[in-house]
Amino acid sequence: MAPLGFEPTPPNEDPLDSHLNIEPLIVNMGPSHPATHGTVRLRVALHGENIQDCDVEIGFLHRGFQKSCENVTWAQCLPYTDRLNYVSPMMNNFGFLSAVEKLLGLDIPERAKYIRVIGAELHRIHDHLTATAATSMEIGGFAVFLYAVEARELIMERVTELTGARLTTSYGRIGGLNRDLPEGWKDKVLQTLERIHLVANEVDGLLTRNRIFMDRMVGTGYLSLEDALDFGFTGPCLRASGMALDIRKAHPYWAYPHLDFDVPVFHACDNFDRYRVRMVEIHQSLRLIRQALEKLPDGPVLIDDWRFALPPQEAVLNTIEGTMAHFKLIMEGVQVPAGEVYHSTESANGELGWYLRSDGSGRPYKVHIRAPGFQLLSALSKMVKGKLLSDLIPTFDTINMVGGEVEQ
Amino acid sequence: MRRLTITVAFLTIFASLFGGMAAAYALGGYLESVWYTGASALSNLVILMLVFVMVIATLLTLAERKWSALMQNRVGPNRARIHLPGLSSRSLAGIPHIIADVVKMLTKESFTPKAANRFFYALAPILSFAPIFALFAIVPAGPTLPVFGHEVAMVVANPSFGLLYLFALASLAVFGTVLAGWASNNKFSLLGGIRACAQMISYEIALGLSLVGLMMAFASIQLAGDSGMMEQQAQYLWGIQLDGFDVGIPAWGILIQPVGFLLFFAAAFAETRRTPFDMTECESEIIGYFVEYSGMRFGMFMVAEFVEMIVFSAILTTLFLGGYHLPFGGQWFANLAFFKDYPWVYGATMGMVFWLKVLVLIYIQMNIRWTYVRFRYDQIQKLGWKILIPLGILNIFVTGALLLMDTSMRSLGLLGILEILLILILISSSPKSSLHKPIGQNEALPSHH
Repeated sequence: MAPLGFEPTPPNEDPLDSHLNIEPLIVNMGPSHPATHGTVRLRVALHGENIQDCDVEIGFLHRGFQKSCENVTWAQCLPYTDRLNYVSPMMNNFGFLSAVEKLLGLDIPERAKYIRVIGAELHRIHDHLTATAATSMEIGGFAVFLYAVEARELIMERVTELTGARLTTSYGRIGGLNRDLPEGWKDKVLQTLERIHLVANEVDGLLTRNRIFMDRMVGTGYLSLEDALDFGFTGPCLRASGMALDIRKAHPYWAYPHLDFDVPVFHACDNFDRYRVRMVEIHQSLRLIRQALEKLPDGPVLIDDWRFALPPQEAVLNTIEGTMAHFKLIMEGVQVPAGEVYHSTESANGELGWYLRSDGSGRPYKVHIRAPGFQLLSALSKMVKGKLLSDLIPTFDTINMVGGEVEQ
Repeated sequence: MRRLTITVAFLTIFASLFGGMAAAYALGGYLESVWYTGASALSNLVILMLVFVMVIATLLTLAERKWSALMQNRVGPNRARIHLPGLSSRSLAGIPHIIADVVKMLTKESFTPKAANRFFYALAPILSFAPIFALFAIVPAGPTLPVFGHEVAMVVANPSFGLLYLFALASLAVFGTVLAGWASNNKFSLLGGIRACAQMISYEIALGLSLVGLMMAFASIQLAGDSGMMEQQAQYLWGIQLDGFDVGIPAWGILIQPVGFLLFFAAAFAETRRTPFDMTECESEIIGYFVEYSGMRFGMFMVAEFVEMIVFSAILTTLFLGGYHLPFGGQWFANLAFFKDYPWVYGATMGMVFWLKVLVLIYIQMNIRWTYVRFRYDQIQKLGWKILIPLGILNIFVTGALLLMDTSMRSLGLLGILEILLILILISSSPKSSLHKPIGQNEALPSHH
């Protein structure tokens, strides 16, 4: 592309009548640009400050997730799922496990279902706080970013106590969970929830009625409900477009049928409503975790079926059956019957779907993810076309695509 | 312990401001007596502009980090240490960071892109720094007093065209920004430069219009001097004497022209190009007009921003907050017997008052900068053209009409106080967000769908 400038007048045109040949200014935002976190390249054609065209290019974070999964046992896929949506890894863990369990026809213990809800909702808050924080930071509100990150840090600490890692949780096993809640964890979580509540209110106080913030967010990044459905929007972005679709309600799983929560819906289809949906969902998640902790039943967290779940160490060391089961599970993997399954859970950004195919061996034949961010990102170009360059930033933030899951 | 630290810190600030001003008076008097009449302008140039403005600008780089840290629940800068016995375990309130910053700026490679226009690329930082710095020349920092038998004025220059100098130089600074954006031959910086240009054009007008009311009220455009805009703020709109102690409502610019104050504050804030008006920088979007600059050239842009903040605060103080005058008791204070013998003590105290007002204004600007998010390119223009400029014109008409009826500025003062009350009521009556949930009540959603 030639740089901005005057093109020579074509010879057959009268120089007095000729028009200025205006060429768009092509700006590369990313792959390493402060706003395109998740390593995306946005090729933007500008006419002045207006976006004529926006070409979204992914692939800078591609790690061959699907192919890697085909080479390891079903259980060994789990650590890969941590790295998909690196803002809410536990949701990926549990989503994948649920899909495998569906293929196996397993039902997991009641206590494990509740703990999965608690972990997933903690990470939903984590994800929403991150999205809101990033949105605010990128339009200049650094204070909100630090407040939200402080609350996020508390969740990280709880997650670390639960799983032993901040990000690479790998929590859960086929048929339940790998370990129970640590001692005294429940009370710490309740205290954390109080703190998050305060932070959510503080963020709300700084942003929701802030005139400049509203000017930046209201009406920008508009995508009609019809278009949103065509693009395959799910999650907070769809709920901000006026559709109350939440898989936790539509196809209840784990302990969600026993818990009481509301699905927020807003109708303006813009960035502001995406922000508001997230803020309300934080409060709903707090409510869910409190209920789940209250109703948490006693009992095992892992099924006692050695075909799918590892036997306790006692049994492995002392009984031949235990040793054999352990050996088979580790060396050959869980024997998943041949077939295919699609299972989806409501992750922080929308429907996290898993298409799994098994050929009856211990390794997956195919693992495909329907990552919510992919559909959202594909609509970005349409959402910003004709708008100002400054609108691109909050729009990119409120759809909250996560590079890891989009590119797998 | 905490209280003690705060007290000591504040006393240090008071003392250093007082000391600086006393030195300015002493040096001015000395130069007047040994050299020629009017030589104190030179000492003012050195002490007020070089020492005061530059030292405060340097300290502001630290203050900005520290204050933003206070607002954001952080500790703030504390990692840079001086490796000397006894000092290596102390953070010294972050002061070593200033040294580290300076060393970094000076020793970094001063990079020039290959395709940049080398001359303009090098010129831009100077162009954006110098005019702002020169602006301070017309700001009086203290009263004119006899020192060593010579009259010493605490101002570098007192031209009769005072405010015109301000407008002329303030609009020059944008050349630096635009040139930096264009000469670096980078698309992002070009966008920043164009934005700066558009922003400056719209806010320059508002900046000028906001002061017209004040010029009419004081019938002067000179800042210092006996009939200057600042001296006139020493009088009272309504004042009484209580045993020689004078109290009342002073004729400060902010009371007779609150709209003018707000407009000038907004326009000056826009001129400093800091959040929420940092369209030219937008670090998450176009990274800024200085994206290609490094080393001390970038440092010039950064320091220019801080100097701009100080200079505009000083001008705001001079025009709207009574300069170095006290809100009440000014005449009583000036007539104290002690000051008859030691006029320089009076001058230094008044100078301290002036700088404290400047610091308060800077603090307010920092608070705004770290609280708000930034405007969009078109919104910033809308604010300038559709709100600030019409309001400025309206303010001129209202001020003119009131002055025609009553030249004593009392009716202006009355209107001003009413306006301030109205603004306070508007601020306190703004509705709360519906997303806000009291603790323990994040239960069912309100059914408003």
